[in-house]
Amino acid sequence: MLARVANNLFWMGRYIERAEHLARYLNVNYFSSLDAPNELSQTRQFVLQSMLFMADDFSRTENELDEQEVLYDIGLNPDKAYSIINYVKLARENANSARDLISTELYESINKFYHFVLNYSVDNFTQRGLYDFTVQVTENVSVLRGKIRGTLLHDEVYAIIMLGINIERATQIIRIINSKYKDAVLAQGSYGDTLKNSYEWTTLLKCAESYDMMRRFYRKTPTSFTTLEFLILNPDCPRSVINSLNQVCEHIKVLSHEKYPSKTSSEFLIGKIRAKYQFKIIEEIESDLQTFIQNILDDLNNIGVKLENEYFHY
Amino acid sequence: MDLDYHIRYSATNKYENQADGGLWQFLIIPENNESQELITASFTNSLKIKVENSINGYNFKTYRIRPTQSFEIVEFNADFHLVKKAENIFEKVANVYDKEYEVLRSISFKAENDIFLRNTLLTTLQNPVDFQFDESISIFDNLQKLNAWIHNEFTFKTDVTDIDTDLNHILEIKQGVCQDFAHLFIAIAKNFGIPTRYVSGYLHQGNGYFGDSQMHAWVECNIPGAGWIGFDPTNNLLAVENHIKVAHGKDYSDCPPIKGVVYSSGKNETEYTVQVLAHQQQ
Amino acid sequence: MKEHSKPTFESYNRDPKLYDEIFDENDNVRNIYSTLFELYSEHSAKDFARLNNKAKASFFNQGITFQVYGDHEVKEKIFPFDLFPRIIDPGEWEVIENGVLQRSKALNHFLWDLYHDKNIIKDGIVPLELISSSANYLDQMNGFDPPGGIYNHISGTDLIKHSDGQYYVLEDNIRCPSGVSYVICNRTALKRALFGVFNHYKTHTVTNYAENLLDILETVKPKGVDIPNCVVITPGIYNSAYYEHSYLAKAMGVELVEGRDLFVENDFVYMKTINGPEKVDVIYRRIDDQFLDPLEFKPDSALGVPGLMAAYKQGNVCLVNAPGTGVADDKAVYTYMPEIIRYYLDEEPILNNVPTYHCSRPDELKYVLENISQLVIKPVDEAGGYGISIGNRLTKEEIEEVKETVKASPRKYIAQPIMSLSVHPTYIEENESFEPRHVDLRTFTLLGDNKEFVLKGGLTRVALSKGNLIVNSSQGGGSKDTWVLKNNL
Repeated sequence: MLARVANNLFWMGRYIERAEHLARYLNVNYFSSLDAPNELSQTRQFVLQSMLFMADDFSRTENELDEQEVLYDIGLNPDKAYSIINYVKLARENANSARDLISTELYESINKFYHFVLNYSVDNFTQRGLYDFTVQVTENVSVLRGKIRGTLLHDEVYAIIMLGINIERATQIIRIINSKYKDAVLAQGSYGDTLKNSYEWTTLLKCAESYDMMRRFYRKTPTSFTTLEFLILNPDCPRSVINSLNQVCEHIKVLSHEKYPSKTSSEFLIGKIRAKYQFKIIEEIESDLQTFIQNILDDLNNIGVKLENEYFHY
Repeated sequence: MDLDYHIRYSATNKYENQADGGLWQFLIIPENNESQELITASFTNSLKIKVENSINGYNFKTYRIRPTQSFEIVEFNADFHLVKKAENIFEKVANVYDKEYEVLRSISFKAENDIFLRNTLLTTLQNPVDFQFDESISIFDNLQKLNAWIHNEFTFKTDVTDIDTDLNHILEIKQGVCQDFAHLFIAIAKNFGIPTRYVSGYLHQGNGYFGDSQMHAWVECNIPGAGWIGFDPTNNLLAVENHIKVAHGKDYSDCPPIKGVVYSSGKNETEYTVQVLAHQQQ
Repeated sequence: MKEHSKPTFESYNRDPKLYDEIFDENDNVRNIYSTLFELYSEHSAKDFARLNNKAKASFFNQGITFQVYGDHEVKEKIFPFDLFPRIIDPGEWEVIENGVLQRSKALNHFLWDLYHDKNIIKDGIVPLELISSSANYLDQMNGFDPPGGIYNHISGTDLIKHSDGQYYVLEDNIRCPSGVSYVICNRTALKRALFGVFNHYKTHTVTNYAENLLDILETVKPKGVDIPNCVVITPGIYNSAYYEHSYLAKAMGVELVEGRDLFVENDFVYMKTINGPEKVDVIYRRIDDQFLDPLEFKPDSALGVPGLMAAYKQGNVCLVNAPGTGVADDKAVYTYMPEIIRYYLDEEPILNNVPTYHCSRPDELKYVLENISQLVIKPVDEAGGYGISIGNRLTKEEIEEVKETVKASPRKYIAQPIMSLSVHPTYIEENESFEPRHVDLRTFTLLGDNKEFVLKGGLTRVALSKGNLIVNSSQGGGSKDTWVLKNNL
């Protein structure tokens, strides 16, 4: 496979995943805030700030954020690099360049998804359609995931897309944790909320589509401890960081044919990073979450850079 | 009498902003032909990139270099050693072919030499020049006169023209360098129906000829019965023992000594010099 | 005018001056179409509206689109697909197939000759000016023997049926003819929409094009290569024919590359893969000559590969079609096709050529200027239907303008009698009914080393606006599935 096309497929996977997480983040935070138990979590400004933080927009210093403007920027503003519409456009563009390698079915679904987002009415979205739009985005991504798994030969093409998806998923989960942790810190104190038992942990789990799974596993109201343990370290949770790393480990094997990967290879680095988190315990993480977040984001980024140098260089 | 030549070509490319990779092609290797034999050739560069041998569109040998690293400056040095046999052109054209004008006008001859009869941007005359061909004398004699005419009418002067200067401007200012005179010669000769091509090569300046320590340019004309004969309008010479041919083409754009595709923003400049040393073979 | 008494054909007005593909001069349905006509008559206008919309959505969702560049924006458009297929009977097809193959072979001989001894010029059959004034003649190809001796591996021949019921060739496209992917899409779309109709006709498949193309590419592999590594090179995803490039790569199972994916080392071509460089042996190139290699052609081209021509000339890679075929893909060369066929093949041309007047010849220029209202004036070297003036559509002022343009550079123009393209029932959305529209036919011919193939089918292009004669997609044309029948009805 061409290095350039591999790079495009990798990023197609990443953009698809990114669009989904951002859409769900908007949806869950907005609608959870409407009946949140504490006052701060309920305020619209708090939610909008959180959304911008998640989208990586730190440019706004004004006190009063305009709801429609923020929603438009994150959802449908083609001029914002972090907007959902932009991620979907990029995903489709990447798919275009690999059109001869992916299935007709997958391409058709991406193309339909793109036209859906492109033609979504801005007025409708910013005034009434937030729920509809974000749900449709996440549904569309589910369809894409199904087509990726079900209509592609599980060869190098598939492995590269899955590498992109899983690295991005781990990254997004960490970013959501980062963002919600910040919210939980801010929201603590009102109505007796402590950081440990913050309502934001429930929101966090919902953002990661993991609330039901978590309840089934722990059978308790989420706390900072159980939430972080579940989302970072539980290998059976399909959204957890370690689950994503495990998948990355699986998929890199398809690309590298080495029995004993050299210590400068991507496969070696991925194995090393996976091992580091495989045997982490939650107490270590929770004691200094900020440092942990920074480290793991660096690790994930290093994997991306390594893959780029080894396989996607053209 | 044969001449032994040592030629050194040195070039420096500077890039305003750091360049990341690219490719250069050098058209500087003396041709191996009946009158010249290349004995040794070496080519080095300051980036220590390995040199590939290739060809250009007219099948002349080239050096090619593909840097993959970043750089701002790069130097190249080529050394050639060759033996040049002094041909007797006059012997070649001594038996003037009495039907040479008829052949020149024949469709067969025109079809075979079509490439070097076509106008190009650099060899098109907009206005007539006051040089006349005279069919009562031979084609060779006409071309000798054209050679002399350009030499007498125009002054060799650097920095008044560049590689894109069109002929009208040259005709106006009556100045230029070897490329310009070669282009003018080609245009006039082609207008008369004589297949003429641009030649790029090295000039031995030992005898005070004009050439500016750079690649020299002259022309070759295909004369029915005699074949391709070289004329150097810059020096009003026949291209014989002092001219070492590298390549030919329709005009300069077919044979610049260096072509590059470099991934860099901003300006770049190339400076090069040529040294030609000769001594008679014992 | 006889009533067709079928709901969707109510407003079908046959023009007796034109050849109608399905109704004869007595308004009876031609034999070959009678079954189809009956079948289609069972559907209501609403059914067709629904099927038409479905087909459109299917093309759009599959991204089988091309970009149209307007003044301000780029629009993504589908190439409109028509529900009424064109049927060609086996006897008629045999003539077309033999005819287009004959032309492709003659053009291949012609190209070899132009780049070698130029005998056809020396023998006075075609004028030297034909090549000496052509910007598409590549000096770099002079004296070069392409692998297998093939230049135009892929030819697209455009034919029309005139009011006399005869086929005429309008153009031979031997640079990078496009459209074959639409032949296949149209078949798929029609099967999806109206699969039942296929039960009543025995139609040749069109999906075997890609496998034949790959076979052809493999016949022209460089010397010493066992199993050649073939690729398709595209200018990229923004090219209007990108869908086709990706389709062909996918259907042949080969890589679709861009210039930046390739590099040349020691005169061999490699592509950059995830496992390092991989040698490339045959390149089906869908980029124009001038962009192939910045060292030899346009120096600022980023689409090509520096050093590609040298690799090609050293015999280490094969380019398909060969560079420099454009010299024979020229409206002026077209006019000599009958002579070219006779000269190289010693055969009479099977297909008609449209009589042509060369504005470069004074007497013909005079005729053209005097009879401009009955002629089509075409620029010699413009593709895509641009710059064409149709004499009987021009106002007095426009005629004068065209005359001036032609007089200013006669070599650039030729003129031909106004050919009346045949008409075919075509579904017209606005009126929800079938109406006659002009059609042509592009066929696809492949030439390899001792192998040849003509796709049994083709692209029937249709001018969707009433009376329009220009069928190019860039000018708003659509297309139809084209059936070549296996046996006579």
